[in-house]
Amino acid sequence: MTGTEPILEVSGLVKHYPLTRGILVKKQIGAVRAVDGVDFTLGRGETLGIVGESGCGKSTVARLLVSLEKPTAGAIRYRGEDITGLSPRALKAVRRNIQMVFQDPYTSLNPRMTVGDIIGEPYEIHPEAAPRGDRRRRVRDLLDVVGLNPEYINRYPHQFSGGQRQRIGIARGLALRPEIIVADEPVSALDVSVQAQVINLLAGLQEEFGLSYVFIAHDLSIVRHISDRVAVMYLGRIVEQGSHTEIYDHPTHPYTQALLSAVPVPDPEAREHRERIILGGDVPSPAHIPSGCRFRTRCWKAQERCVREVPLLAVPETLRTAGGPAAHDSACHFAENSLAGRELR
Amino acid sequence: MLLEVRDLHVEFRTRDGIAQAVNGVSYGVDAGETLAVLGESGSGKSVTAQAVMGILDSPPGRITGGQILFQGRDLLRLKEEERRRIRGAELAMIFQDALSALNPVLTVGDQLGEMFIVHRGMSRKDARAHAVALMDRVHIPGAAHRVRDYPHQFSGGMRQRIMIAMALALEPALIIADEPTTALDVTVQAQVMDLLAELRREYRMGLVLITHDLGVVADVADRIAVMYAGRVVESAPVHDIYKAPAHPYTRGLLDSVPRLDQKGGRLYAIKGLPPNLMAIPSGCAFHPRCPLARDVCRTDVPPLHTVAKNRASACHFWKECLHDRD
Repeated sequence: MTGTEPILEVSGLVKHYPLTRGILVKKQIGAVRAVDGVDFTLGRGETLGIVGESGCGKSTVARLLVSLEKPTAGAIRYRGEDITGLSPRALKAVRRNIQMVFQDPYTSLNPRMTVGDIIGEPYEIHPEAAPRGDRRRRVRDLLDVVGLNPEYINRYPHQFSGGQRQRIGIARGLALRPEIIVADEPVSALDVSVQAQVINLLAGLQEEFGLSYVFIAHDLSIVRHISDRVAVMYLGRIVEQGSHTEIYDHPTHPYTQALLSAVPVPDPEAREHRERIILGGDVPSPAHIPSGCRFRTRCWKAQERCVREVPLLAVPETLRTAGGPAAHDSACHFAENSLAGRELR
Repeated sequence: MLLEVRDLHVEFRTRDGIAQAVNGVSYGVDAGETLAVLGESGSGKSVTAQAVMGILDSPPGRITGGQILFQGRDLLRLKEEERRRIRGAELAMIFQDALSALNPVLTVGDQLGEMFIVHRGMSRKDARAHAVALMDRVHIPGAAHRVRDYPHQFSGGMRQRIMIAMALALEPALIIADEPTTALDVTVQAQVMDLLAELRREYRMGLVLITHDLGVVADVADRIAVMYAGRVVESAPVHDIYKAPAHPYTRGLLDSVPRLDQKGGRLYAIKGLPPNLMAIPSGCAFHPRCPLARDVCRTDVPPLHTVAKNRASACHFWKECLHDRD
């Protein structure tokens, strides 16, 4: 759990991509609302997991956090200072402390650079981080830290397997000794047996260097394994957030409930007596977000009120009085503790 | 047995040498049964399926030995024309990536209808009507209108339904589904797996489900064949294998999956890396990564030992592996 001061505070974060028509005279005819008002905090040394399906905006959040994109609105406060409006020079200093690990270890490493150059490249951009003469040694140390042979420093990415390449990506992320690592689907391209190695590595590094993680993934089991707190995203917004027990054992938002019930459980004994919620239809396009509650088009609880009124992310009135783990943020007019009625596995 | 693969060998000739993709795979499926073929990338699970379907890229791929018995006939001895008649009509395949498996310049109605025109000699009009009925059958809303749409106009889940409709069109005896839901989100995956299970029951088809997802397997399979380095290393009814695996690789896989109902702790990780198919380790291919490995594992290829009725394991020390679990 957190208990510590927040290192990153995100409020009202919005990223809209304009949709235009015309070649010479461009006219905006709408917008893809990829991220549409997201708030969360990350505590020092904590792991916040962000889960959601494709198109929910989780990767855009990651890119906003590391300033690869400029937000349309909202603030990202790092140690209390909003970094969205910083001058390029001031931003550069902040970026040292917020680094990213990408999903695809096959395309995120330059095939023409040696592993040593890839991992050492951050030092070219931030020369103050390590004196020139010391860099080679640091790169070797980093290789060792992520479990690769330091002798491999002159090899090229294609000489490594997927899992090893992801380790190289992690070493590069660690080079500047950041405080925060934003990992976007860091293990989803890996085989099961290798996935576990990389997850263990990430957990070990967190302990060793006191890192804070924003861990973005679509795999709910992995997110539970690694996260202290979890935020569930749907169509550009967080619909529910809380501690891992609150979210996984006491989900109150219908989307979270459906998502959890849809995860195949590696236990054939469970298949006869587990209740599944099969959602109808597809996720609407983020260019045409439904009015009111954005989940209502697929929700079995939806009523008139859900069309008119946007549900806010807060502890629902009905659950607050009872207290307990069901009393956590949930953006639903009809949130209820699912475990009261049904068994969700 | 509806389909029986016996001691299949496939190799790929590449610039760097010969890759032994499949090294003596044997498995069987009965009518109405779901066999899950579980394996990681490079285990040979998809190549075996391509050999069964007769769609192996050759060259560079080459079948160097074995038999593929389908309804009693060895497919590898049939003429290409006979195989083509079987393919689609008796034996159909669903691919992982529906967007690249469907033809982008033909409407889905034309692609579904083509099955009926080619195999059943129907008129275009009848074929169109059958296409609409099929799209209805796989629960595509507004089928009568959407039959004129192109693949890119459908969502990922809907495209996978179209793939299923196409596989189902001629009511084949066996469907091979290669990672049919890997590219889909979990809520959509649940919809598609539900549909597949429903149709399989209704048509009493055999289903070979190729996957790397232990959760999906537990949900739908009757039997499992676990593949490693081009061999089946363990095969068993689904309940037995999850309860007590008889091969250390299977055990490692089961232990390395994070669980939805558990938090934290260190995950068990199988050490090392999947084998290089150009240089498969001697003896048991799994020995460099195996916690039970001894001298004999480095020298002798383990045969498939019968563990129990309908159960087999290619491990010299399968008894120990089973015992450990208890």
